[in-house]
Amino acid sequence: MQIFYSIFNVILDAGATVMLPIIITIVGLVFGVRLGKAFRSGLMLGIGFAGINLVINMMKSSIGPAAQAMVENFGIHLDILDVGWGSIAAVTWASPIIALLIFAILATNIIMLVLKITDTLDVDIWNYHHMAIVGILVYYVTKNVFLGVSASVVMAVISFKLSDWTAPLVEDFFGIPGVSLPTMSALSSVIIAAPLNWVLDRIPGVDKLDFSVKDAKKYLGIFGEPMMLGLIFGCVIGALARYSVSEILTLGVNMAAVMVLIPKMTSLFMEGLMPISDAAKKFCQEKFKGRNLLIGLDAAIVVGNPDVITTSLIVIPLTILMAAILPGNRVLPFADLAVVTFRVALPVAMTKGNLFKNIIIGLFCTAAILLAGTVTSPILTALATEVGLDLGSNMITSFAGPSLTVSYLIYTAFTGNLFISIPVMVLVIGAIWFMMARKGRRSMAEA
Amino acid sequence: MKRVLVACGNGIATSTVVATKIREKCEENGVAVTVNQCKLLEVESKADDYDLLVTTGKFTGGTVTIPVITAISLLTGIGEDATLEQIVEELKK
Repeated sequence: MQIFYSIFNVILDAGATVMLPIIITIVGLVFGVRLGKAFRSGLMLGIGFAGINLVINMMKSSIGPAAQAMVENFGIHLDILDVGWGSIAAVTWASPIIALLIFAILATNIIMLVLKITDTLDVDIWNYHHMAIVGILVYYVTKNVFLGVSASVVMAVISFKLSDWTAPLVEDFFGIPGVSLPTMSALSSVIIAAPLNWVLDRIPGVDKLDFSVKDAKKYLGIFGEPMMLGLIFGCVIGALARYSVSEILTLGVNMAAVMVLIPKMTSLFMEGLMPISDAAKKFCQEKFKGRNLLIGLDAAIVVGNPDVITTSLIVIPLTILMAAILPGNRVLPFADLAVVTFRVALPVAMTKGNLFKNIIIGLFCTAAILLAGTVTSPILTALATEVGLDLGSNMITSFAGPSLTVSYLIYTAFTGNLFISIPVMVLVIGAIWFMMARKGRRSMAEA
Repeated sequence: MKRVLVACGNGIATSTVVATKIREKCEENGVAVTVNQCKLLEVESKADDYDLLVTTGKFTGGTVTIPVITAISLLTGIGEDATLEQIVEELKK
């Protein structure tokens, strides 16, 4: 017994780069992946984590001091670094309870499918990180595994239901049938967009206020290219920090490097998880053969839409400006400006491409992300430091994780006064579910 | 050596799945390829250097001069083989 205990301790002490290969190998074996393949998957994830750590190190040592200087020079109080969703996903996958959460989320999906209360088959294991991070944070705060798992299960239920409800948008607006998008980074905007769109439609005149931006790409396309965005961003921050010209240029190139390197490191995670995702897909598709299911895919498949791209190219620079003036915000948006497309994709489908409404709704969504990111940054930073990211004295956040509106609300419900927050949460989810079910029946009756 | 560009929303998630499957299929068929990934937003500035563009969603956001294949089937698993055949055929030209 003593020996097991010491082995366990040695592994825990070694941190995420050692934990990850072991945990993922075990997860792979449970899904029936061969040992050699499972271990390679695990090792690849460990490598990805090491890579992300390197890039974040570079980012904090270059932009960290510049952001501080900017605060001192101009009082622009943006000192929480946006390290990108990939970094937060890495932290998520490196958590000790991730294996438990993955199986809990998959089990939730299978049980809901068996009970026929969802049509979404979600075996996109990679994107489970959006649901898992909430459970991990709840566990980190409360030290209660049961609460942590429950929080992730609630996230899963919400993800699958929102996917079911938005599947008609995916089919009608984006033209992709038989598919739903259980990616919280895209779904979360829906709970802001749906009521806001309803309100905007009832303000007289707004429905006529549609305009189109010709050549948005020609003039704003630069905001869609991560390396150019990184370069400009780095140079501007450098200038605001009153750096010398050579320092400004260095910061620009370094930030361009971060923008390009973070996704490269994140793709190692994706590559490592592929064999496990494939095994889970085979298992589930055989189980539910013959049923007409929506296959859950990454929202990446819809963000190539021109309306989504145009909206993003306008929302990205406006979000940067908004960050500086939004009361209460301390997040310096950076790495995740590259994925604003995901945040606006479903709202764009809801308004059927009305650019005016898209920009308004898009800005409300990014504002909510910045504020939730500010509030949750201390706890997220503490968690990231514990799993082994070397952050120094910098605070971090992203446009994913607990910054997403839905994730933030569920996190808050599970870490607040449980006797009040849990019943409220159940009531709200129940009411929305009931309303959507009635609406669904009505539209079917009309058809 | 043929060059393939795989594009998806963030240049990470779905494009990694598709790129890996294309590499494996080409290896089986003895087609020498290099496969690179990018974001859909970058496609127009990069496509000129490639022989084939494969996208994981509907790509309607711009114009490119190289052939484009939509490979959503490699994600859903429905019609996967047909799409892979189509990609190999295009690369053998």
